[in-house]
Amino acid sequence: MVDAARHPRIDVRTYTEVEKVEGFVGNFNVTLREKAKYVLADRCNGCGDCAQACPIEVPNYFEMNLAPRKAVYVPMSQSVPLIYTIDLDACIHCYKCVDACGPLEAIDFSQEDKVVEEEIGAIVVATGFSHFDPSVMEEYGYGVYPNVITSMEMERLNNSAGPTAGNLIRPSDHTNPQKLAFINCVGSRDKRYVQSCSNFCCMYSIKNAVLLKQMNPDVDITIYYIDIRTPSKGYEEFYDRAREMGIHFIQGRPSLITEDEQTHNLFVHSEDIALGRVIEREYDMIMLNQAAIPQPDQGHMSSVLNVAQSPGGWFMEYHPKLRPMDSPTDGIFFAGACQGPKDIPSSVAQGSAASSRASRILHSEKWEIEPTVAVVWPDRCSATTRGKACGICAKVCPYGAINIFDPETPAEVVTAKCHGCGACVAECPEDAITQLHFTDAQILAQMRAVLADEPEKKILAFRCHWCSYGGADLAGTSHFEYTANERGLRVMCSARMDTDFIYEAYRLGAGAVLYSGCHPQDCHYITGQLIGAKRANRLKKIFDRMEMTKGRFRVEWVSAAEGDKYARVLNEMQEVLDNIPPEELKAEIEKLKPQMSKRLRKFPGVPGVQEAMDYSDTLVDAIIHQKETA
Amino acid sequence: MSHATNTQTFADEVKAIPGGEHLELCYSCGTCVSKCMIQQKLEPDYNPRRLLRMVMMDMRQEAFTSPTTWMCSECDLCYSACPQEIHISQVIAAVKQLAVEAGYQSPLTPVEVNEDLCSGCGICVMVCPYEAPSLFEKEVNGEMDRLSQVDTNKCMGCGICVAACPLGAISREGVSNQEITDQLPIQSTQPPKLVTFICDWSLRESADIDILESYPADLVKVIHIPCTGRIDPQHAMMALDSGAEAVLVCGCKSGECHFKRGNYVATCKMNLLDTMLSQFNFPNKHIRFVQIGTQERGRIRHEIDAMLAEIGVLEVTQ
Repeated sequence: MVDAARHPRIDVRTYTEVEKVEGFVGNFNVTLREKAKYVLADRCNGCGDCAQACPIEVPNYFEMNLAPRKAVYVPMSQSVPLIYTIDLDACIHCYKCVDACGPLEAIDFSQEDKVVEEEIGAIVVATGFSHFDPSVMEEYGYGVYPNVITSMEMERLNNSAGPTAGNLIRPSDHTNPQKLAFINCVGSRDKRYVQSCSNFCCMYSIKNAVLLKQMNPDVDITIYYIDIRTPSKGYEEFYDRAREMGIHFIQGRPSLITEDEQTHNLFVHSEDIALGRVIEREYDMIMLNQAAIPQPDQGHMSSVLNVAQSPGGWFMEYHPKLRPMDSPTDGIFFAGACQGPKDIPSSVAQGSAASSRASRILHSEKWEIEPTVAVVWPDRCSATTRGKACGICAKVCPYGAINIFDPETPAEVVTAKCHGCGACVAECPEDAITQLHFTDAQILAQMRAVLADEPEKKILAFRCHWCSYGGADLAGTSHFEYTANERGLRVMCSARMDTDFIYEAYRLGAGAVLYSGCHPQDCHYITGQLIGAKRANRLKKIFDRMEMTKGRFRVEWVSAAEGDKYARVLNEMQEVLDNIPPEELKAEIEKLKPQMSKRLRKFPGVPGVQEAMDYSDTLVDAIIHQKETA
Repeated sequence: MSHATNTQTFADEVKAIPGGEHLELCYSCGTCVSKCMIQQKLEPDYNPRRLLRMVMMDMRQEAFTSPTTWMCSECDLCYSACPQEIHISQVIAAVKQLAVEAGYQSPLTPVEVNEDLCSGCGICVMVCPYEAPSLFEKEVNGEMDRLSQVDTNKCMGCGICVAACPLGAISREGVSNQEITDQLPIQSTQPPKLVTFICDWSLRESADIDILESYPADLVKVIHIPCTGRIDPQHAMMALDSGAEAVLVCGCKSGECHFKRGNYVATCKMNLLDTMLSQFNFPNKHIRFVQIGTQERGRIRHEIDAMLAEIGVLEVTQ
């Protein structure tokens, strides 16, 4: 850290908040609020005389509130840079610090927050995690029984620089505890609090137990656990070592802790699963390993950075396996537990990966993006045709890549920000936006080709590139049999599945249409699936009103791992078609065709569509001709 | 390419019964086993975690004969403690339902109705937390009469109905009126100062039971009852009548009753008794009802000492 602070090309800004992030990869415009420290950074030498003179004491957050700090303080003695800060909420303005500082004159109460703007090429987010508050779990008595503490508090008590200078004492009577217990999974793996596993607590409690046992081999240490998870290199060996040292491991989640009111000793009630018996054991002190949870302001940060959050509240990565350090927004990267709870080796690995990703941007003259970006035809935009931009495209874009500066100027796509989901293309009521390589005309040509012959027998499946296409692929490679009448069409995201395509499919006489994409939490384009899902539900209602047979239009979210589901859905759709007598199906298709055409009246006006139709008609004729001659 | 067969597993059958659905979420942490007091107090083989496992492993016969299936009184202490939010008592109830359908019978001793005394008033039907009693028509001496009958597979033996029956027509071995009154110091030359009626479930820890037993018998007389719902206010009055100076009724905290709502029934009764005694200007009204929670280790000592202090005999203990 000191090295980083001294590095000529590293600028460390502490006590600074990110207020706004604008721009795009390589060209971010970041607004920072440098909060007033009331101590001049260029004059303070970190001597600490001011803190000695300060008469105010408040709980020290760094010491888990087990020790006091002054109103003028550094968070910890290793702080970088070593510059004192005055906590104005606690300060009584006695100015003793000013006197103590003397000729340095480093203290300046007139200082104000400074808002600065910086041009930034790439951003690495490493905001860490927070802890679950175990006092909400009444059964463990944290906050009620003095000798129930958290492992983090134990770490401070056991730290030679901590409030007790490394003398581990129990809070009730300041004696050294002889019988200790750690309880794992406090709040984690619990549907009522934090559903996920906190990843590192097993190793963390073993580490603490070994540490305490090494310092004093006579102490009796027990670890209560549900499962011990030691999945990395050398971890299982460490677990073996802990058992060989005589640390007890009891499989069984404690249901209750009671306290003896005289001795303040604690009684842990749990089942010993190996024995199948309920046991009650007495301890001097108990340490709770709380669940790791996202930072309390993670939601705020995610809106500032425009990156999504996973269901647990952690920042969402671009891809859980292949790009865990990338955010869905180009140029923003994650390091460490802000993306999900992880231990030190994983955090270091992810941090290194993130910084190397970031430096790739800083050392590039040009930045390559996917070619499937959205492009606006300015002459078709309502800003041009009606003098007022509707703004729907800007509203649906998950990346904020569309700018509408004023209502009379056509929408503008910031190409570097566009990821090519196609949401704006499908949503634009004027058909004024197109997606390169997935133009309406191209998709239409494919549809007409697959529905050329006996369309009423076909099931047209719209698949998203990332999930349901993978699901279909898996169904194939796993040899899950499904109907041969399925015809798949790939688009990048369910958000690109335009209502026009679905109407056109039925107008061409398709037997059934499947609208498929990712599960909401898996969407590759942050909120693309939500846009697609909303549209699909609207379509469902429309088709219900048209009295279309139930099951001819189906919406299913299929992940890339759900090949079986994809096959099952298709087979069920085939069953629906099989159950309609062919004449009835044909009659229904014919009956609905005029309604579909009515909804498609503007469609041929889209650039390229008429040409595509004409061209594909010649292909279709050729196909039918070939069939007839054969 | 389907491997599915039509045979339904035991787990499928349990999951098909409402309440049994979330069975497979169990990751065997053992919280339910230690939260429940049955294993410590009654039956060492009682283990809800293992019953769930037996269901998952298709061990039908073992599950039907397991004490867990029959002894769970649906107090739901485990439900509120389960990190997977499995409604364990409902899963057990589903297993029990299948066991009853398969012809198995509860090994517990149920209450018995004396049909000569029963008037068919239906109070037992109202108070029972388990819907065990029901009324039926029977011809007695040529006339149709309404009588109560008890479903032996549903009865958990709490004794709430025994206390509630105005005619004393219901009894159960171990908790009959006679057996409780026999323990009262009637006609004793040296009656104890304090009579304590204690629900066996309200004291979780053996240390608390030790406290209870540490008082000399001529000072504190302890009468064990299965649930405070079993308390008949007459018992308290009889205790005072026989010379005791105070009565302490001790039950579980509200929401923690082993028999769902026995402590609620007791609260109502004790409050009524209190009101009644106030209206009579009863001179020495040393009757108290306390509710002890599972985490309140050692509270029983304070409650007994407070009672003894109230009647001015605390110095005897010190």
